[in-house]
Amino acid sequence: MTKVLLVEDSKWLAELEAGVLERAGYTVSVVHHALAAIQTIDKNRPDVIILDVLLAGSTAFALLHELQSYGDTGPIPVVLCTNMAEQLSLDELAPYGVVRIIDKATMRPDDLIAAIKVVTL
Amino acid sequence: MNGQEGSDILQPLIAAAHELKAPLALVRQLALTLEDTTLSDAERQRLHDHIVLTSERALRLTGDLTKTARLQDAMFQLEPINPEQMCREVVGELGPLFEAYGRQVTFKGRRHPLLLVANRDLLRRILLNFSDNALHYSEPGTPVHLQVQALRGSGMIRVGVRDYGPALSSDMWKTLKNKLATAPQPVHARPESSGLGLYISGQFADAMHGTIGAVRHRDGATFYVELPASRQMNLL
Repeated sequence: MTKVLLVEDSKWLAELEAGVLERAGYTVSVVHHALAAIQTIDKNRPDVIILDVLLAGSTAFALLHELQSYGDTGPIPVVLCTNMAEQLSLDELAPYGVVRIIDKATMRPDDLIAAIKVVTL
Repeated sequence: MNGQEGSDILQPLIAAAHELKAPLALVRQLALTLEDTTLSDAERQRLHDHIVLTSERALRLTGDLTKTARLQDAMFQLEPINPEQMCREVVGELGPLFEAYGRQVTFKGRRHPLLLVANRDLLRRILLNFSDNALHYSEPGTPVHLQVQALRGSGMIRVGVRDYGPALSSDMWKTLKNKLATAPQPVHARPESSGLGLYISGQFADAMHGTIGAVRHRDGATFYVELPASRQMNLL
């Protein structure tokens, strides 16, 4: 079963997104900040990470750097799910493991499932 | 208007747009989820409550922004206010929001009541702002406490909002202190928020001859506003 790590500091949005993914059959772990994400990844390596950009504490970019600095975490595909999508470039972020950027302001609940299916093929 | 002036005007606008985007995007997702016909009545009611609470949060921000824009040309009546009563009102107003997040906001009264001089609406908005920040940027599950303290010898009274969580690093603390002193920055420059709420609170405090500040603790932080004590306090 595909393991998804959802990093989202909005508790209610995290609940909504986790619910959608679990109903689609994914095993979902939810954390609310980058430090907790690193601890969770160390314990149980996910197949894909759904990552908000603006988090309490360290931003997603610090986490992306951390992931890329280790051989075992570098290849984990990362889907950014953010309100800043229009300011980000997939080309620039691809070297940091980002494979897709979803705009929170326009996404539909099923968009996360579609993104995971594409990146875990 | 030169480039710097244009930038000074635009930065708070951009920060405001981003601060509003998050709750609006959440309301949209909550509403889209309501389309799911398999939801139980209880789940439906919960989503409905979250939509209302999130909308109210966004509306508070728009109200604060409007108020800030009018600070220059409006007179705000300053009057003796019991800060403890104000804290209780804020706790009552935010209680449902904190409860919905599984959190608690409390106020513990003092033995001797205090009076300060402030504008009731502006002080209320500052405390709502600090409490809202505490809800969203402190450790999930921890309580938030409102506190009132007389600062001996200074003639000022401090009303603070204490939150709990891991101690902030020196770098993050420095960034936060900068936000207390400067206009909000575009959102890409922030470690956690644009500082718009702090900027607004600072403007409100200034209009009441007060200041805002923050204290770092080993297990969290206190954001506070200091306002002049009322001389009527001596009569109590």
